[in-house]
Amino acid sequence: MLQRTDHLTKRYGIPDGFTLTRYLADGGYVQARRALSMTREELVNECKAANLRGRGGAGFPMGVKWSFMAPTVAPGRPHYLVINADEGEPGTFKDRSMMEGDPHATVEGCIIGCRAIGAHVAYIYVRDELHLAKDRLWAAIREAKAKGFLGAKPFGVDYAVEVYVHSGAGAYICGEETSLLNSLEGRRGEPRLKPPFPAQAGAFGMPTTVNNLESIATVPALMRLGGDNFSKISSLHPKEGGSRLYGVSGHVNTPGIFECAVGLTLRELIYDLGGGVKGGELLAVIPGGSSTPILRADELVEAPNESHPLHAWHGMSVLDVPMGVETFRGLGTMLGTCCATVLSDKACPVLAMHNLMRFYRHESCGQCTPCREGSGWLERLLDTIVAGNGTMDDLNRLHEVANSIMGNTICAFGEGTAMPALGFLKKFRREFEEYIRTGGRSSTNRLALAQPAAE
Amino acid sequence: MADGTIKIDGRTVPFEKGDTVIKAAYKAGVDIPHYCWHPGLSAPANCRMCLVDVEPPPGRPKMQLDVLRWDAGKNDYITVKKTKLIPACQQACSDGMSVLSDTSEEVAVARKEVQELLLLNHPVDCPICDQAGECDLQDYWLEHDRTKKRMMDEPVHKPKAIVFGETIVYDAERCIMCTRCIRVSEELAKDPVLDMRQRGNRNEVFVAPGRELDHNYSLMTEHVCPVGALTSSHFRFKARVWFLRSGRTVCQGCATGCNAHLDFDPRDNTPYRYRPRDNEAVNGYWMCDKGMLSYPEAHEGRLENALVGGEDAALKEALEQAAEKLSALRSLRKTASINGEEGAEPSRIAIVLSAQHSCEDNFALAYVAKEFFGAKDLFVARRADGEADGILMVADRNPNTAGVSLVAETLGFATPRPFATLIEGVAQGRYDHVVSLGGEVDVDANKAKDKLSRLKAFVSFATHEGTLPQVAHVALPATSWAEAAGTYINKQGLRQEAEQVLAPRGDAHPAWQLVVALARQLGFALSWKKRADILALLFPAPSDDAGAHAVSQNAPAQLEVQP
Repeated sequence: MLQRTDHLTKRYGIPDGFTLTRYLADGGYVQARRALSMTREELVNECKAANLRGRGGAGFPMGVKWSFMAPTVAPGRPHYLVINADEGEPGTFKDRSMMEGDPHATVEGCIIGCRAIGAHVAYIYVRDELHLAKDRLWAAIREAKAKGFLGAKPFGVDYAVEVYVHSGAGAYICGEETSLLNSLEGRRGEPRLKPPFPAQAGAFGMPTTVNNLESIATVPALMRLGGDNFSKISSLHPKEGGSRLYGVSGHVNTPGIFECAVGLTLRELIYDLGGGVKGGELLAVIPGGSSTPILRADELVEAPNESHPLHAWHGMSVLDVPMGVETFRGLGTMLGTCCATVLSDKACPVLAMHNLMRFYRHESCGQCTPCREGSGWLERLLDTIVAGNGTMDDLNRLHEVANSIMGNTICAFGEGTAMPALGFLKKFRREFEEYIRTGGRSSTNRLALAQPAAE
Repeated sequence: MADGTIKIDGRTVPFEKGDTVIKAAYKAGVDIPHYCWHPGLSAPANCRMCLVDVEPPPGRPKMQLDVLRWDAGKNDYITVKKTKLIPACQQACSDGMSVLSDTSEEVAVARKEVQELLLLNHPVDCPICDQAGECDLQDYWLEHDRTKKRMMDEPVHKPKAIVFGETIVYDAERCIMCTRCIRVSEELAKDPVLDMRQRGNRNEVFVAPGRELDHNYSLMTEHVCPVGALTSSHFRFKARVWFLRSGRTVCQGCATGCNAHLDFDPRDNTPYRYRPRDNEAVNGYWMCDKGMLSYPEAHEGRLENALVGGEDAALKEALEQAAEKLSALRSLRKTASINGEEGAEPSRIAIVLSAQHSCEDNFALAYVAKEFFGAKDLFVARRADGEADGILMVADRNPNTAGVSLVAETLGFATPRPFATLIEGVAQGRYDHVVSLGGEVDVDANKAKDKLSRLKAFVSFATHEGTLPQVAHVALPATSWAEAAGTYINKQGLRQEAEQVLAPRGDAHPAWQLVVALARQLGFALSWKKRADILALLFPAPSDDAGAHAVSQNAPAQLEVQP
């Protein structure tokens, strides 16, 4: 259900929207001040009531994550809040818009988050390339500090909070929370083994919560509305609540970021917000960042069983299923970052997959074998196919290689590579076969399945 | 000791708190294939070779993932479930846990996949690789893969023959990025001089800029390398491992007494390298570079022939000459009370034991000195102290300092005095007969030359050429530690045996046999025929040293020189 909201984006596009003056005029920092008078438990419960699912991609309930932190801070073991703003997922650009458009919401969220988990320091780990975002965040931190909202006694309350911006060094893998922690510590950005989980031993070996930037920037709005009210904005309440940022890019007429109540459908995102498909008909959509398996426009929901969570949408187009963490898992894909990438029927899925696999080969940290070697092999097989030299053996090898990565790696990057690969193959096998048969030389230099195959 | 048991393929395996599945399996002798895991290092779980199927606790579902299979009949993909496997090096044991390793089809598939991926960009240059024959890639391919290479593209090329330091050469193409070498440097040597650079399948290990791989455990990086990526510049292109045989020995480099394998080519009786022999009680899994590189001492600079007056001589002749020189001692017992010209005062005899010789050698000489010569003054030849590294290497650079003390104590001697004291005594004319064991001393032997040459009789048992055998009236060639079995007592007081590895060179015989032969030549009755005869006197109680590896070996050939 399309329901535009402005809890997060009110100051977007306003010339001075990123300044403290404007933020205060809209009632900013009131929630942070209030939070510092609340107990950790009250804050965690507020967040749980909001049914806020983590916005980074995995969709883990944020209140539950906060509750993993030790209830009391052990001597010599300070808690840390780390904000993941490494946003490197292809097709995803929502956190950037928040940092640039409304940095104070993030800073305020950090104060509340620190209080909720017993931390006094928050690190915002920002992707290297986002220079304006880093500048805006630092400026916001300086402004807040000058006003006494941060520091030893924020708002006069004896609960020190400091917020720092840490620049990444340009690695997709550092968006994985444990790699991010390694990178934050000045180590090589390689995922750590879990357990121990960050809540036990995270940044500098101390209990740490890693939250996505949008998640933390949503917290002030959540507090303003009250957890329950915030959750009810969503049409998927109580499974997941609130409003969130939806992004759409690729072959659409008006790509961008749109804030809506949770429960939007892909069709609404593409046609109502994205202005429809640019230069053709809809072929497919990658729902939430490149690691989420692709959905075809002509796919129908197959859920005849009444106990199936998607039974209500049985027989309908996948484009009409509300975008939720669980609903999209039911579709065999993932909601991910909620930033959809649209492919028109002029796009070649073989080239699209090649593009993605090149990215994953380039970004694999190389720590563990299946991902390091498997992602490279996938790219090479596609190199061969795209060059017109592929065979059916090469095609059949693709899913075998992807299968061998699946589940066998240290971190989720392996699945993040294998799942979209398997998704492309499963949904576009005929197109791949066609490409291999013709060596990719169809009349339009794109796929032309309607035409008989050249003999 | 065990804190519980787990089942691996139905076999009950005990574990201690903190053990991972692979550690418990390792201790129980159950093999789970692995590259990156090493019992002495942390577990990064990066090779993914040790994936096993850990059964979920009762009532919990197995974690499964969707993968695709091509169904030719349906002409479409079908979605199938794949069990999420866990690395055995990461999974902590809990009581009653059940693990499937060799009996799981899914585990077999995963191992095959990982093995294939590891070889994907590997140059497979086995014919020119030093690791060939002891390479995990070769062994595991045979055990877990056995399929032809399916990627026919040019593999990724990376730097080759990169000199990491004086001891190590690196080939990034052969490297499987297990990070064992990085962890050895960081965790054992406490010198994090190695790290990984680049990303994905362009990864390579490199030395920190401005540094060399020059810590005292650099050869351990090669030792732990499961493939041929790191090679020792001392072993590189020198031998094929399948021609080498191994003997279990004890490093002679310092008083730690690291357990070692000495690898040698039996065809030319040449040692090629040391390898640490695992012993948790002594050296763990490691040896220092100083020790690792001391293997050539087994055959280089050896005293292979007897010397009489510094000139080569036949052993028989040398023994006669020695007996002649020491003839004053022959009638010692009989003439001590007679004020005869021939007699020598026991107080004018100096006996030098050696902290570099085995307990057997030292005991034989000290025993003869006491029982037959009536000698009172014991000295010790020992290599000068060096630096300790705080890890394995200690300042005392002698393998048997404690053994010498034990020998002296057992026979009722006072603690042996330093060699420098002997030189002073000789300079003051207090001694006229010296019988010494060992060649290396902690004083400048050249400066003592003149003083020693004034002696009435100086007989030296030595393994290596040097000042002492050169200046002695008679020098008798003793076997090195590698050429005869021997017992050494390390700084912890652990009694360790080294087996005979090499055949003795030239006329060399175990020093204790030479002592016996000399004693007989002098007319003293000694019935010792084998090492055990001496050991029975030195260690009357049955040995039960837990830390020492009991070694059974054939006694070395007996010296056939009779008086």
